[in-house]
Amino acid sequence: MNPTARTGAPTAAEPMSSATPPRRRARILLGYAGWDLLRTVRMFSATFFIVVLPMAMFLIFGGIADYGDQALGRGNGSAYVMTSMAVYGAVTAMTATAGSAAVERQQGWGRQLGLTALSNGMYAAGKCLVGLAMALLPVLALFFLATAMGARFDHAWMWPITGLIVLIGSLPFALYGLASALLFRSEAAVSVASGLLVLLAFFGNLFMPLSGAMLAIAKFTPLYGLASAARWPQLEGQLLQIGPAAPEAGDSLLFSVLNVVVWTAVFGAICGLAGRRRTAR
Amino acid sequence: MGTARTTAHDHGPGPALEARDLHRRFSAVRAVDGVDLRIDRGEVVAVLGPNGAGKTTLLDMALGFSVPTGGTVRTLGEDPARAVRSGRASAVLQTGGLLDDLTVSETVRMVAACHLAHIPPAEALERAGLSGLAPRRVGKCSGGERQRLRFALALLTSPELIVLDEPTTGMDVRARTEFWETMHAEAARGRTVVFATHYLAEAADFAERIVLMRSGRIHADGTVAELTAARTRTLTCAWTGPLGGEQGPAAFAERHGAVLAGSRDGIRVRFSAHDTDALALALLAEGLGGDLQITQASLDDVFLDLTGPEADSIPETDRPTEPATANGGPA
Repeated sequence: MNPTARTGAPTAAEPMSSATPPRRRARILLGYAGWDLLRTVRMFSATFFIVVLPMAMFLIFGGIADYGDQALGRGNGSAYVMTSMAVYGAVTAMTATAGSAAVERQQGWGRQLGLTALSNGMYAAGKCLVGLAMALLPVLALFFLATAMGARFDHAWMWPITGLIVLIGSLPFALYGLASALLFRSEAAVSVASGLLVLLAFFGNLFMPLSGAMLAIAKFTPLYGLASAARWPQLEGQLLQIGPAAPEAGDSLLFSVLNVVVWTAVFGAICGLAGRRRTAR
Repeated sequence: MGTARTTAHDHGPGPALEARDLHRRFSAVRAVDGVDLRIDRGEVVAVLGPNGAGKTTLLDMALGFSVPTGGTVRTLGEDPARAVRSGRASAVLQTGGLLDDLTVSETVRMVAACHLAHIPPAEALERAGLSGLAPRRVGKCSGGERQRLRFALALLTSPELIVLDEPTTGMDVRARTEFWETMHAEAARGRTVVFATHYLAEAADFAERIVLMRSGRIHADGTVAELTAARTRTLTCAWTGPLGGEQGPAAFAERHGAVLAGSRDGIRVRFSAHDTDALALALLAEGLGGDLQITQASLDDVFLDLTGPEADSIPETDRPTEPATANGGPA
């Protein structure tokens, strides 16, 4: 025990160190993540918003809309809506998982796990796995539903690539969910943050194609970059437009990525500040 | 305590808990302010003190949840966090720490999955007396049942040391009794048990040794007998003599080196004295009273002194053995 001048949070100290064989650590990590995934899936309300709602919205916006069959970039209109809803479902999953993780820790579950061999780092990794698994659910569900409803990509590679972009791009929203939980410290705050995603999704151009001033504002909102990137395989930055408005200039990939990077940094900074405030009490 | 043991090596035997000049400061507050404590293997120790005495902070450091700002603490001869991570030391947490959506059995299995090695979850449930409640959702469990569950979790690694922080808070009398019965069984297996409490009876009934804390320091340390031995006893009687003058209670007390501690309508009279036997003998010989009752100073008295405003200025070992306060409770 070395009483070094650690002024940081009085949380569980040293990680397990190299004394524990990697294989046993992996087993513990997977065991934990498996249990936690079971819990998350079982919570009906969460699963409803993550899986059922995006599917319902796909049916409303994409399945029925008359542009569904029209060719659009390297696919059709239905595939466009499918990607949008997959993004919405995936970020909702990430937000909810990370947010509930933070609330759970504040309620003492972190201390309980602190009495086990599961280190803080392994806990975070486990939660990321759970978040990714939960985000994968709406992506797969929508891919299947949309395919059945006539969604079409021109090339087979577009399916896994689109799915991968959605999954990886949803990771920063773990920080968004975490920030909400750290700032307001309640389950309700996490629900509100998930609810606010509807608004962000609207401005992220996920629900209906925006144009004019609305679009100009939208480009700087958190979901816009991810939405644009997820559609890149199909549209390469082109914008879908409805009606007789003047055609809008497309997005550059750099802009989309920059949007994601900047907002990730913003969410991360909020988490850092909120976390510091919490331990400074 | 008395017998010297080998000094602690890194993974050697070492005492269950050893703190040296331990300090923990939260900005301006000195939660733990210079604690020296050694708890040997197999001891059952209560850390007793009022709220804010530093009990939880001390135990947090012993579990590696909190890093000392000064001094050292070693648990089972090694770094506390390491002893906890490996499952050698375990704890029953004060509140929270459970997930309402899991069942009792799932909670135990999930936490078991996070340990390097553990006993069968069903066995932990049984030892904590939870077998019948395995399928119940944690959200529907009573406070006592939740505490049993936390206890089952603590047993999972078959730990050498169990730390319990206010383990029976929120339990009714029956649940509390049952909980301690279970704890007794585990202590009998040779585990070291250290628990914090502000229930005196709990400390007196269960612990072999009591560590009294106040304001981040240890104020007394010993068995119940040791802590109460130096104190006066109380003799209560039905007073049959005159109420005043040479044969009155006050004069009688003075004559025999006792103190008149209280008198209710001159019928029941209470004296404090070290040698209550001699006092009783004199009382009966002089025919001044009958229906005698002698009570030993309770741990309550020690505790009340400890929590009293003047306690800080008095060193704990040679505290003046002045008579108990006149209205010191019926005991």
